[in-house]
Amino acid sequence: MAPPPVGAQPVFAALSDPTRRQVLSMIGERGEASASQLARSLPVSRQAVQKHLASLAAAGLVADRRDGREVLYRLTPAPMSDAMSWMASVGAQWDERLAALNRHLSR
Amino acid sequence: MNANSSEILLPATPEEAWEAVTDPDQLSEWLGGSAELDLRPGGDLAIEVEGQGERRGFVEEVEAPRRLVFWWSTEDAEASRVELELEPEPGGTRVRVVESRPLAILDARGIEIGSWLAGPAAEPPAAAPELRARMLTTAR
Repeated sequence: MAPPPVGAQPVFAALSDPTRRQVLSMIGERGEASASQLARSLPVSRQAVQKHLASLAAAGLVADRRDGREVLYRLTPAPMSDAMSWMASVGAQWDERLAALNRHLSR
Repeated sequence: MNANSSEILLPATPEEAWEAVTDPDQLSEWLGGSAELDLRPGGDLAIEVEGQGERRGFVEEVEAPRRLVFWWSTEDAEASRVELELEPEPGGTRVRVVESRPLAILDARGIEIGSWLAGPAAEPPAAAPELRARMLTTAR
C-alpha cells in the first residue's frame, strides 16, 4: 500500500477523530459555521469544538473569518471543486439509471 | 455539498418498484449488467455494468418497500452512500436517490480512502469489515 502523500500527515491526524470528521461534514453541509453553532448539534462542548477546529485549521482543511463577535469556519476551496465535479457526474449516472428503471417498469 | 439527488415518477406500485430495485434478476436487467445483492443490513452487494466497472459494497438499511440505504465503491475506493426512497403518489411511485460521499473530504485532499481505512491488507475495500464499521461511524 502506498504511503500517504507528502503533506498528508497533519490531515491524517486531523481526521483520525470521528468528532472532527463530523465537524468537517457539518461545515460542508452548512457552508459556514461558528464553533457555538456546531456545538449545538454535537454532544461536546463549544470549547471542545474549538479545539477540533484548531487542528482542522492547522491541517489546512478549514479556513476562518471574523464576523462581528463570531469566527466562522468554512472548508478550504479544494474540496469544493472536487465535490462539484463529482456531483455532476453522479447526477448524470443516476438520471440514466432511473430512466432505464422507468423503461423496465413501463413494459 | 458532496451529495447528489435525482428522482423520477415510476408507473408502478411501491411494491413493484421495490422489487425492481432489490431483486438481483431485475436489477441485472435494467442496469444492463450483473447484480448480486444480499438484502439485509450488512449484506454484500456487487454490481457490474459494462463500461462502468464493478462496484462493491454493502447494505446499511432495508425498510421494504420504502427505503434502501447502501454503500458502494469502484475499485479505486471512492466509497459513497446511496439512499433510495420510494413514496406512493397518484399515478405511481416517486423514487428519490441521494448519493453522497461522507468521506469525500479525504480524497479531495488526494488521500486514498481505502488505504487509510482498510489498512495495509486491503481487500476490495468495501468488503473489509473494518471499513464498513468506519464508514458507518463517519456517516453518523
